[in-house]
Amino acid sequence: MTTLSILVQVAALLTGGAYVLVVTDRLMSSTGGVRSALVYPVRRLSFLLLQPATTTERPDFEAWILGPALLMALAAVGAVAIPVAGPSAGGDIHAGLVLFGAAMLIVLVAVFIFGWGPNSVFPMIGGYRMAAMVLSVGIPFSLVVLTTAIPAESLSVGMIVEAQSSLWFVVVQPLGLPIYLVTAAAIAFWGPFDLPEGADLAGGVVAEASGLRLAMWRFARAALLVTLSLMGQAVFLGGYLGPILPGWAWTIVKTLVLLVLLALAGRTMARMRVQTFVWFGWVVLLPLALVDVFVSGWLAL
Amino acid sequence: MIDILLVVGAAIFGIGVYGALSQQSFVMIMMGLELMLNAALLVAITFWWASTGGNPAGQLLVIVILAVMAIEAAIGFALVTAVYRSRKADITEKLKKLRN
Amino acid sequence: MNPGPLSYFLVSAFGVGAVVSGWLVFRTDSMLRAAYWLMVSFVAVGAMLIVLDAQFLGLILILMMSGEMTIMAIFMILFMMNPAGLNPMTMVHQHRTSIIAGVGSFVVLAFVGVVAEFPDRPVPAGDATVALGEELLGRSMLVFESAGVALLAVMIGAIALAAKQGRFGDAYDGSQEPSIDVETEDRS
Repeated sequence: MTTLSILVQVAALLTGGAYVLVVTDRLMSSTGGVRSALVYPVRRLSFLLLQPATTTERPDFEAWILGPALLMALAAVGAVAIPVAGPSAGGDIHAGLVLFGAAMLIVLVAVFIFGWGPNSVFPMIGGYRMAAMVLSVGIPFSLVVLTTAIPAESLSVGMIVEAQSSLWFVVVQPLGLPIYLVTAAAIAFWGPFDLPEGADLAGGVVAEASGLRLAMWRFARAALLVTLSLMGQAVFLGGYLGPILPGWAWTIVKTLVLLVLLALAGRTMARMRVQTFVWFGWVVLLPLALVDVFVSGWLAL
Repeated sequence: MIDILLVVGAAIFGIGVYGALSQQSFVMIMMGLELMLNAALLVAITFWWASTGGNPAGQLLVIVILAVMAIEAAIGFALVTAVYRSRKADITEKLKKLRN
Repeated sequence: MNPGPLSYFLVSAFGVGAVVSGWLVFRTDSMLRAAYWLMVSFVAVGAMLIVLDAQFLGLILILMMSGEMTIMAIFMILFMMNPAGLNPMTMVHQHRTSIIAGVGSFVVLAFVGVVAEFPDRPVPAGDATVALGEELLGRSMLVFESAGVALLAVMIGAIALAAKQGRFGDAYDGSQEPSIDVETEDRS
């Protein structure tokens, strides 16, 4: 598969997934009905593109525009590591799991500079909140993702999917997927963990953003959630493996399941204060992730 | 190839030396130290790649450098916080004497 | 193996990027930019490591630095009086000595690097990550474990140094924000 077709595939996956995510989220949050929700992404996007962009006094302009661009690029880089259709198709990168982990942890940098850019108080506090959250869940997140490499004996995502041909890792490592989903939602500052964009901060990092910048930011966050769902299904739900349907169809079905799950959680779960979340990350999630590592290592011996 | 890599490593190291010696702020000094370690890392991998025939101890050295970096950063930040808390000092000039 | 022209190009491009961004760390007034220029320098070196067949180490370097540089940026913003660099400033001492030392070490090291002859034993083709894993959990396990123990000691020591209540107290209390430390005049 050529580089160009991989790029087209990643772009199509991220755009389609982002559309489904926004529609599901809209269905949960408004009473407008299904038809209104289905056109909502297009309507919202055209509104944002036509809206005149506001600015602030002496913003760090480069940082402010680099934030959304970097977030979008990271979502794409993370998605490149994941095989979509089958063992030979798609980019199967040597240390794909580490590439994905590195891309997801740099999300913190994108959010932090986006909060720093406008030279304004609430976005800056949003950036600090993101730093506290990601630094607390970054280690459990990396641990549960890397633990899937133990039974597969490889860091390549394609090999990890192949190792699940008899039994999915969601069964072998029961702690893995729940911890992954919680930490993934926190890394994408989504759902119950959208504190960096919290309503109590008048929008947090997006408080001063409008127009094209806000449209890019919203799309990049949705694409980031799609990438996280893609990786979740690849390492825990057997990826493209499945009967009857072709591989790419299984990938899409499983990705959508995780994506809709995240969208539902975003509108139904209670928020947690940042202080409580930091405590939760270090005192609850990290030991559970270590248990996951030790049990999987023991089983793989 | 090895010439390019070693010159790049030397340049990064030189910038690190300049930064660590010239800056007044504690955190900027730490940035200089990190740049020097960065150069060490690059040069270690260069020699591993070009001259050791793939001896994995070369990669191990890089892991040790990474651990040293993490230790330097953690202890550095902790000391900066502790000094700031007791002295309200954030640059080296404010620490004329280290006792009490 | 013999590096192809693409490797030459990539190594030169990332090398120039690493040096220039490293230089910009000390040339910018904004503390956030200083921290993230340093991160760019590390990412460029990580990319060079990937070109030199050490994919795992390059990616791990990039992964580590993203978190560390954000912490660095936060500390810069905490401790500097003018973190956004909205007014130009220089905070340097012994400037001439530093320039001489920096240029001197570059010239000496680069001279040695260019003039000296090194043995030509390139990395054999194969998975360097597997070799590293076997080294870490085999012959050099003691080194690896010592690094882990040192890191654990550092974690404890750093928390004891930096936390306001030292090593005492519950984790939840420690995560609460401290009261705002305003120096007021004593009115009693």
